[in-house]
Amino acid sequence: MLSRRTKIILATLVVASLTFVILDLRGGDGPFSSARAAVSSILGGVQRGAATVFSPVTGFSEWWGTQVDQSGQIRALTDSNELLSTQLIESENDIARANELDALLRVASVGRYRVVPAEVIAVGPAQDFSWTVTIDAGTLDGVEEDMTVINGDGLVGRVLKVYNSTATVVLLVDPESSVGGRVAGSQEIGIVSGTGRQNSLQFQLLDPLGKVNAGDAIVTFGSKDGRPFAPGLPIGEVVDVSGTAGALARVATVSPYADVSQLSVVGVVVRPPREDPRDSVLPSAPAAAPAGGPTRAPAAPQTTDPAPGATSKPEVVQEDETAATPAPAEPGN
Amino acid sequence: MIYRQGIVIGTCIFIAVVVELTLLSRLGIPGATPDLVVVTVVAIALAMGPLQGASAGFAAGILMDLSPPSDTLVGVNAIIYLIIGFIAGYWVDPRDRTLIIIMGITSLSTGGAAFATAAVDTLLGGSRVNWAEVPWITLSAALYGLLLTPIVVPVVGWLVKKVTPEMSLS
Repeated sequence: MLSRRTKIILATLVVASLTFVILDLRGGDGPFSSARAAVSSILGGVQRGAATVFSPVTGFSEWWGTQVDQSGQIRALTDSNELLSTQLIESENDIARANELDALLRVASVGRYRVVPAEVIAVGPAQDFSWTVTIDAGTLDGVEEDMTVINGDGLVGRVLKVYNSTATVVLLVDPESSVGGRVAGSQEIGIVSGTGRQNSLQFQLLDPLGKVNAGDAIVTFGSKDGRPFAPGLPIGEVVDVSGTAGALARVATVSPYADVSQLSVVGVVVRPPREDPRDSVLPSAPAAAPAGGPTRAPAAPQTTDPAPGATSKPEVVQEDETAATPAPAEPGN
Repeated sequence: MIYRQGIVIGTCIFIAVVVELTLLSRLGIPGATPDLVVVTVVAIALAMGPLQGASAGFAAGILMDLSPPSDTLVGVNAIIYLIIGFIAGYWVDPRDRTLIIIMGITSLSTGGAAFATAAVDTLLGGSRVNWAEVPWITLSAALYGLLLTPIVVPVVGWLVKKVTPEMSLS
């Protein structure tokens, strides 16, 4: 039934894909890093454009509601009304985005992180079981591999791969992601790992006798030189603890502060703070800035430029002393 | 003529990949992401035949594997989509092509693709797949494939007939 030529082509394609799998399985940078970079440089631009076009749809679920109303209006109203309603959506869009940037600024200024803002432009399909997104900032903006990614609510993930104008971020709920965490207000440390579900993380205490209770907040412990994770960033809140004190495996279920299913504006921490901000960034307790927090830190003259390359994005920096005190009008997230 | 076929296949695949990654995966729909790419591959296979279906599947899989933010092994989606494209083009009798049967084929394909991705990833030693979620992901992928069919298949079929009239099978 199949011609000889068809069979040869099919066999070639099958062998080619199997070869790719085997080559990529060897790990490391492999032969595909340049291929990925090439595809990214083409698709990154297209994705950026498409994300702009689709932004009213993807950004806000309320949009569906307004759209249903509008479909009736559009028939009835004049051209000027159409123009006005479009402007309304755009400004709502802008206000929501500005609010997200404000929240990001608060986290960045309270914790004295230096942050490059970016927008999520593509998301990996759920069938891959990997939680990765593309953001529209890359090496040209000073982003490097293994930098921390945050939003106004807390930790989002870390930069996995970086290209010229885009970067791939692996989210903290990815099953292969793990972060050093600390129970806020105590010295209990442990490992926060993703479960693959968007609203739950696992927190495994290193000390089996350590105290952790439902309602406790978890912040990042911080890595060496702030990479891949800057210290003091809010991760989530403990909702459930399993295992009794002293048991070998004490695991707490943590609900992340950042809603990874509705990410829009995020920030890449291009420089961690000089001092661990401890618990001062947590959203629920703005008055609980402990001694040793950033209030005590001197307004350090920060002269080094973290991004020697051309920075096409303005960096969000708050250097003055007032920024170190937690924002007073901040009841929560 | 083969150039025109290549252009049709390439355009459809490219648009499907971009729309899936920038629009469909960001809608926050519960369960799987609506698999526009697999539906497009099946549509091409139904309109053009097994060889074109398999080639389209291979190209789409490689593009999905390489395009950001993918962090999966390169080649996994390629071989899965290739097999789906071939089967859809080879075993489906052109005379059977009522909308109901086509919807069944695409939903089997999208569900099968989701399940096969999970299975292959686990077989190759990946630790990401949470098997408790796989049945739900597979079922929702099949459902979304079903819903995408009446939109995608006629459009691709029309495009194929228009650009490469020699390919029309029926």
